[in-house]
This record gives sequence, C-alpha cells and structure tokens, in this order.
Amino acid sequence: MPPDQDSRFNWASYHEFADRHDLTGQSVSISGTWTAEDAVTFRRVFEYFEEATGATVNYSGSDSFEQQIIIDTSSGSPPDIGIFPQPGLLRGLAGQGQVTPLPDDTNDWLRANYAAGDSWVDLVNFEGPDGQTRAYGFPYKIDVKSLVFYSPENFAAMGYDVPATMEDLKALTQQIVEDGGTPWCIGLGSGSATGWPATDWVEDLMLRLNPPEVYDQWVSHEIPFDDPHVLAAIEEFGWFAKTDAYVDGGAGGAGWIDHRDSPTGLFSIPPRCFMMHQASFIGSFFPAGTEFGRDVDFFYMPPYASHPELGNPVLGAGTTFAILRDTPVAEAFLAFLRTPIAHEIWMAQTGFLTPFSQANLDTYGDPTLRGMGEILVNADTFRFDASDLMPGAIGAGAFWTGMIDYVAGQSAERAASGIERSWSSLARTGGIEEGAE
Amino acid sequence: MDNIAGKRGRLTWALNIAVFLLVLLWTIPTLGLLVSSFRDADQLQASGWWTSLSPSVQSSAARTGPPATQTSGLDGYVLEGNVFGDASGEVVTFGTTPMMPDAFPAGETAPRNGGGTLVVNADGSYRMTSPTPFEAPDLVTGETAGEPLPDRGLRVFITSTEAPDFTTGNYGTVLNADGMAQSFLNTLTVAIPATIIPILVAAYAAYALAWMSFPGRALLVSAVVGLLVVPLQMSLIPLLQLHNAIGLGRGYIGVWLAHTGFGLPLAIYLLRNYMVGLPKEVIESARVDGATEFEIFRKIILPLSLPALAAFGIFQFLWTWNDLLVAKVFLGNSDTQMVMTGRIVELLGSRGNNWELLTAAAFVSMIVPLIVFFSMQKYFVRGLLAGSVKGG
Amino acid sequence: MTHQILLAVVTVIIGVGGCIAYFWLSNLVLDKTFPPRGSNAAQNLRRSGRIRPWLFMAPAIFFLGVYLVYPVFASIWLALSQGGEFSGLANFIWLFQDPKFHESLINNILWLLFVPTMATLVGLVAAQLTDSIKWGSIAKAFIFMPMAISFVGAAVIWKFIYEYRAEGLAQIGLLNAMTTSLGFEPTAWLTLPVVNTFFLMIIMVWMQAGFAMVLLSAALRGIPEETVEAAILDGASPWKVFWRIQVPQIYGTIAVVWTTITIMVLKIFDIVFAITNGQWGTQVLANMMYDWSFRAGDFNRGATVAIVIMVAVMPIMVWNIRNARRERD
Repeated sequence: MPPDQDSRFNWASYHEFADRHDLTGQSVSISGTWTAEDAVTFRRVFEYFEEATGATVNYSGSDSFEQQIIIDTSSGSPPDIGIFPQPGLLRGLAGQGQVTPLPDDTNDWLRANYAAGDSWVDLVNFEGPDGQTRAYGFPYKIDVKSLVFYSPENFAAMGYDVPATMEDLKALTQQIVEDGGTPWCIGLGSGSATGWPATDWVEDLMLRLNPPEVYDQWVSHEIPFDDPHVLAAIEEFGWFAKTDAYVDGGAGGAGWIDHRDSPTGLFSIPPRCFMMHQASFIGSFFPAGTEFGRDVDFFYMPPYASHPELGNPVLGAGTTFAILRDTPVAEAFLAFLRTPIAHEIWMAQTGFLTPFSQANLDTYGDPTLRGMGEILVNADTFRFDASDLMPGAIGAGAFWTGMIDYVAGQSAERAASGIERSWSSLARTGGIEEGAE
Repeated sequence: MDNIAGKRGRLTWALNIAVFLLVLLWTIPTLGLLVSSFRDADQLQASGWWTSLSPSVQSSAARTGPPATQTSGLDGYVLEGNVFGDASGEVVTFGTTPMMPDAFPAGETAPRNGGGTLVVNADGSYRMTSPTPFEAPDLVTGETAGEPLPDRGLRVFITSTEAPDFTTGNYGTVLNADGMAQSFLNTLTVAIPATIIPILVAAYAAYALAWMSFPGRALLVSAVVGLLVVPLQMSLIPLLQLHNAIGLGRGYIGVWLAHTGFGLPLAIYLLRNYMVGLPKEVIESARVDGATEFEIFRKIILPLSLPALAAFGIFQFLWTWNDLLVAKVFLGNSDTQMVMTGRIVELLGSRGNNWELLTAAAFVSMIVPLIVFFSMQKYFVRGLLAGSVKGG
Repeated sequence: MTHQILLAVVTVIIGVGGCIAYFWLSNLVLDKTFPPRGSNAAQNLRRSGRIRPWLFMAPAIFFLGVYLVYPVFASIWLALSQGGEFSGLANFIWLFQDPKFHESLINNILWLLFVPTMATLVGLVAAQLTDSIKWGSIAKAFIFMPMAISFVGAAVIWKFIYEYRAEGLAQIGLLNAMTTSLGFEPTAWLTLPVVNTFFLMIIMVWMQAGFAMVLLSAALRGIPEETVEAAILDGASPWKVFWRIQVPQIYGTIAVVWTTITIMVLKIFDIVFAITNGQWGTQVLANMMYDWSFRAGDFNRGATVAIVIMVAVMPIMVWNIRNARRERD
C-alpha cells in the first residue's frame, strides 16, 4: 500500500500510472541538491513511485551537486536522473550531448498543463549537440523568490506595519534601527554555493528599478554586467547589506552566516532581526513547530513608489529534472512527474509550489503556499532567476563571488567589472557553457 | 639540558610551564570539539563550551495559558501559571517586549504596555494582569493572513538558567539519521585495502631499487622522488575517464587502485631509504650461501624492514582514512558510498550551525585515526625517522 | 552492509593474494626458465639477474605510470587545448590575466612563506623544550596528535573556534569569546581579507608542527654531546648554544622538514575548500583548479591551473632529486 492514503490526492492518476508501469526489481539513481529536510520530503514523493512501480529509487542529495554532476558526466558515470537547480548548467550539458532529450510531446504537455506554459518551455528547451533545439528538462517544483519573512507577533509588539512600497521598507529599516533592533537577516553562506542569496536580492531589485526588457538583456549579456542599470541594483542591495547596523552580524557577518541559519534570527529572543528576504523554499528551515501566519508570515518584496510603471514584478525559480542515462525506470519517473499526485504529495507538505493546473490546490499543506500562489497570480511581470540562466561559470561562480566581495567591502563598479571580465573571457574562448541566447 | 644549565630550578620550572602551555594550546581545539559533541544543542548555542559545566543562561519566549483560562480578580483580569510548564529552571530576569527579556529582575512587578502588570518569579511562576479581558496575541498579518488563534497564549520574555546538560544523543543522530554509521563502514572499506596493497607493491620495488643492480636504477629512483610532488588534483579527471573507458567505473576497486597509485612514491621512497640502511653483510652472506633474491627478500629484508613497513602503513592508513578528494571523485557521492570526510563536508553545508552534530560527526571520524596514532606512535616515528632523515 | 564487509574482505584477500602470487609465480617462472644449475648456470644467473629487478618493480612501475605519469601528460594536453582542439597558450594567457589567479598566486606565496617556516620553527622550539623535561614524550604525543586528524576534521575544529555571532550574543567561538572579553568587538574573522588567510594557515601549522617536532627532536638528540658542552664551558648562554651550535648541525633535517611541508602546502586544498571555499580573498591555486574543473566544467582551464602548480613544485622536485643522488654518491 502507498505510504499515506490522503484523500485529497488524485488517486486515479496514481492507479492509472501504476497499472501502466511494472518495473519490479529495477532501480533508478537520482542526484540533486535537496539535502536534510528537503531530501526527506522528496523521499516521501518517490516512495509513492516505488510503491506504484516496484522499482527502487536511490536518491543522493549533495550541497555540491553542481560540481559532482560535472565530474560524473565528464567521466561517463552520471546518475540516471539529475535534478538541476540551474538551467544554465543543464544547457551546457545538453550541448555536450550528455542529456537525453525528453519525448517530443513534452513542450505541448507543458503548454497545456503548466500555468504560463510558454515560459516553462523556454526554460527547458536547449540546443543539443546536433544543433537542434529540444526539451531536455522537466520543471518540477517552483520557488517564488520575492518574499520577505517576518514574525507577525514581533511586528505587533513593536508597532510595525507591513510596508507597501520600497520607500516604506527602507523607512521601516531605519525605524527598527532607531528602536534598537536589527532589521535584516541576510545570510549569504551556502557551503560551496556561498553568495547566491545575494544574487536574488540584486535580481529582485533589478526588476523593481528597470523594465523587464533590461533584465532580459542583462541575462543574455546584451548589456555588460557593469552597465549602470545593473550597478544601480547592486548598490541598492548594498544599501541594505553593507550598512552594519541594518544586518544581523554586520556586513561582515552577512557574508558568513549560512542562509539556512538566518531564519533562526527571526525567532530568537531578543530577535536578531525582524525581516529576511528569501525564496519560498526557506520554510523547510524554520524551527520545528513554526506555524505560518502566526509564528511567521511573509510579505511581497514591495515595488518602488517612484517606479509605478513597473507594476508588481515577481522573481521565481524552478528545479528541472533531466535524464542523463536513458533507462525505462528513468523514463517512468519523468512520466510519474506528469501525474497530479506527484505534485500533490509535496504540496501537502511544505516549501513546494507548482504551476500544474491539474494538481488539487486544496492539498497545499499550509496557508503560506496559498499566499505565495496569490503573489504569483498578482504578478505583472514574471521572470526567472537570472543567475540560473547565465552560464555556469557566471551564474554559479563569478556572480556569487563578486557579490561576496562586494558585501565584504569592494565597490559595486569593481565587483561588477570583475564579473563582466569573466563573462567576456568565456565568450572569447568559447567555454563549454554558452549563455542564454 | 637541565643538567648543564646553571640556574637549574628556575629554568626547569620555566620549561615545564612553557611545554604545558604549548600542549594546552595544541589540545584545546580538539578538546573543544569533544566537549561540544556531548552538549545539549540549545545550551551549545547559548554559551561557549568552556562554560559547559556552569549553568547556561538563555533568553526565550514562554507562552501564558490561553486567554480562555483567565480569571478576574481585584486587579482586573489575571493569567497565572509557570513559564517552565513541567520542566524546571530558574528565571533570572524577564521583560514584556521581545527586545528586552532582561528588563526586570525576577520577582519584581513590571508594567505592561497598554496597562496591567506582569510578575515572573525565580521558580518560573508568573502572574499577568490586565484591566481589559485578555485576547489572543496581536499579529501583523501579511500574505498568509491567518486568524489569531483563540487558544494561543501571550508571550512572556524570560532569561533563565538551566543546569548543564550533557547527552550522547548527538552521536546517535549523526550515526543514524545523518548516515555517519554507513559512512564509517565506507571509509573502513576504502582505507584497509588501500593501505595493504601499496605496501606489498612498494616493498618489492624498494628492494629492487635498494639492493639489486641494473641499468636505469638511478633514473628510476630519481623518477620516484620526482613523482612525490605531482599534484594529485591534476590526475583526477584523466584517471576517472580512464577508469570509465576500461569499464571499471566508479566504486571501491577504483578508489583502491587510485590510492595505491598515489601512495606508491612515498612508499617506495620511505622503504628504499630504510632498506638501503640495512646491514650489507647479512645480504651478501645470504647471497653467497646461494639464497635466491626472492628468498632474501622474504626471509631477511621483510622482517628487518618491519618498522618502515609499519610506519608507511600507518601513514597510508591515516591518509586514505582522512582523504576527501580521491573518494569524492573515484567512489561517488551517493548515500551508500559517501565516506566520512565527504559526509562531514555535506553536513558543514546543510547543518552549518548545528555544531552539536558537526562536532559529533567530526569526532566519529577521528576516533580510529587517534587510536591508531596513539597505539602505534612508536613505530610511526621510528619508521619516519629512518626513512626521511636518511633520505635528506 | 554485510555485503560490503564481505566485498572488502574478499578484495583484501584477492589483492594481497594476487600480489604474493604474482611475485612468487613470476620468480618461479624465471627460475625455471633460467635454472641457476647445470652447464649454463653462470649465464642463466646473469640473465635472470637482469630480468628479476624488473619483475619486482613491474607492478610499481605500472601504477606509477598509469596513476601519476600519464595524468601529467594528459593535463599538459588539456592545458594546451580548448574543446579538443589545440589552442596553444591561449589558456595560459587567459590565466595570467585573471584577477582570481593573481589572488590565488599571492595567497599561495603567503602560504609558502608562512606555513613551512612557522611549522618548522614551532617544531624546533617544541622539540628542544620537550626534550629537556621529564614528561616530554607525553607532551610530544599531544603536539603530534593533530597529524592524525583529517583536514576536514580540522576544518570543523577550527571553524568552530573562529565561529562568529553578532555583537551582544554569547560568542560560542573561542577566538571571539576571547576578543570580546578583552573589550573588543566580535569579528567575522574568516571574512576579513588577508587576515583570514592567516587564520587558515594557522590550521596547517597546527597540523604540521608535530611532524616537524618529531623529526627535529631526533636530529637534535643526534648531535654529539661534546660540541654542546664545549660551548657551555665557553660561557655561551643556552639561547646561543641552541641557535649557534645546535641548529646549524641539523640544517639537513630542517631542510627535509621544510620541503616536505612546502610540498604539502602547494597542494593545499581541503582546508580552503571546507572552510571558505576560496571566498573573501582566500582562493588558492588547488581550489581554483577544482573550481574551474568541477564548477565551471572547463577542464582545460582547470588543467592550466594544475600545470602552474606543477611548475611551482618543480624546483623542489629537482632539489629533492639532486639530494637523493648526492646521498647515494
């Protein structure tokens, strides 16, 4: 029997899938970045797959997945399925012929079943080694990034309101300092991926200061990384992160503290901080027993009142499943991800959003996810995480280190021109990972 | 020295103290690790390990009973209870706002914002009053817009002390939930064959290089010395590709072979240096007696070289046990294959602030090397000296 | 789990048995082919004498060739090519213009200057001190102990010491606890440029000083008593005796210790990887190589950095070889 019989789940899809697949005794190896709590949650998802097919899933989550997958593929011993947090990385591997293209109906399926399907199609279609563009990945699990988390009780105790504009947010930041508190927890640490939370900040501010077209040009390297538009966004991030009094641990601590430890600052007594900018997944890292809406809540990272024409932009990211070694079980697993129940199992837990229209929205485990869904619906502009779309050496390298150097004291010009130099040197030698065209 | 230095007494004292300080400096880091691995997680976060024997001070928020349990008395509406619930502890200070859990000493009566008072006594009993009926706590709602829970109490902010709390639970957690037990086994599986095989291979080669004459010997010795310094990192990709090309793939056999290859230069170097120093007469007379080279090696050289073999064995064991990179590349990263060092690096990422787990995991990985090291230190030093001092 | 233990045991048996069988059988075959008896005894002895060393060395030569020599040439090719095509020095030109490379180079030089020197110095002092007290061997064991700990374990130990909490919170890292108790502000030590590299280097000194101490202590004890006593009779202070008389006599060992640690430092990877991952200006060559190979997926550039490490090690390699030769002559 499946591990958990939740009546909200789409059992018809489960049984239909189970009837079509019998893979008893076979196994599939999956690698990804989900560790700790996320790995436990994902395990619950694939337990249903194991139950339905009789196959065994060997999942290994690693913080250094991005590096491990390069070792694995280039030495010819990849896992059957890779879960890519960064489409840029997948694009590079697809170009080398390391990835098996998905069935031809994938794009049609995404357009028909995923909200904003075309943007998902764009995200996972890459040029293969033969120069043909095909779907190489299947997006599963979306994260909304433009969120600021806070403790509603602490806000009430101090008499603070949820800011509606960026100007209000800055005023609140200063107000908290005047009241003797620390406004922000900005943990940029992330093991070998240290620095990425800063890229989310910069991207969110990019979308709030510039039209989406400029954002797209930045992502595709049509404007240089040290373009004034980009510099303005970096410096705006610096306003928050580089003022010692605004950040738990000061600007130096921001670079050091792990982003997964940042949430504890919201809940400590006295609070180490009042706000934290993070993506929706961070819910997995709140202390055990934290109740959304009561112990913690979030608001949408507000737009500037001075830029009304930009509306309410939203930044998001999605993880992508890709087949690195073509086996029947791997194909079956990708097919499993098309069933509503594969989404509902994780929806019923935490930290998971899906654009899949057939998934039962009532299964969302907590009101947070519904709130995030609302943010998605209200978005005037939706853009994917820029660093995920840039070539790996930039989006998973120079951008991260550049932001760490910036927070540690370097000027925005210097940090940005350093990143720009790395990017243009990639273009010159034609590194194996080409950026988004 | 003390027998020849003049001011003997004072100098000896100074020496002893200096050495003691040095030893202290060198052991404190490891001691901190050991102590922390046995501490309760909350206490570890609240105070340094060097204070672990004294009560720890923590600030926290406790909740009163739900508003439904309020009574009305002469001084308005009242909520009473104990902040510790069923647990015990001692309140030092308390406060009425999250920013100030230390505004009032225990037992004092503090005014609340918006009227009423709060008293928290040292034993944790509290009494909160209000001129108006208590309601569920105020919330500033964001996107989630939850209704205030009627059964939720108000927060009382306290700073309390707790008795020192030591536990072996951290070890249980890392061994089982975090997979260190499996990794321990993996490391063991990597280290033992990777120690024994190179010793055998190297011993024969070292004997040939030390006691057999043949053209090209000098060149080979130089080559071995030169290969001592080849950076390991550059070998990884070409070799992994090679392993895959010949169908070896990733797994234990690949790691063993790789460790054998990487350990050989040092092994040959150390063993040759040691064997060169063995008495010439013994070998010559054995040759005169008609013993074959194979017999000489087996019956004379091997037993005599035992200290060097042991020294290299320990060296190689420590190196393979402690290695991160070779296992990461040649063995793989899945749960069932990860060695302890790899697992700890993962923990550093995913549980970067859970020092109670990190320290326990690190200590688990250190136990075997420390035992090997302390029990076999004599051989290690002797072989090391024989091998490298002469080699210089 | 039992399966795994079984596999390991079987491997040890097969590996060891295979090695023994190889040496035994190959010797047997050789002796049968050229029996050291009969009419051709002398000639056969000479022949087998020519072949036998190679039989003894064949497995070692195989491993050295495949696992160390071949990768060197493979890396040279990688460094000189891009995408499978010969690209001349393009990768090197890129490298020498890369600011991160300059940073790594400077840091590696810092490591090279500081760690071997400090480890040797501390080892020397520790050797002299521990040799002159009663419980010296126990003291030595403790100072030597970090050598048994993995780089990753040491990284955990020291990261904990450097742990940083914002001002006002209890500092659970030893270093910040000390600085705050002296009235200074807590500092995120590992994010401070240049200073952080020194904090990483201290870890390496901590690990290697014991090794230096053990070798140097043996060398010091090997010095003939008379020279020291003569100096003391001449009225030289213990300080002078140590630096002027004893140290010069063990220069050879000091050199060995120094070069051994230097080689280790050039390849330093795990500590930087596990603690800062090269951020905040602590990048070193070995970690840069790892970054380019496995993060950016560009093996050509990774190999280029590796070649630079190789070249940097070269002088020590040559020096080592010459020493080994001189000793034989």
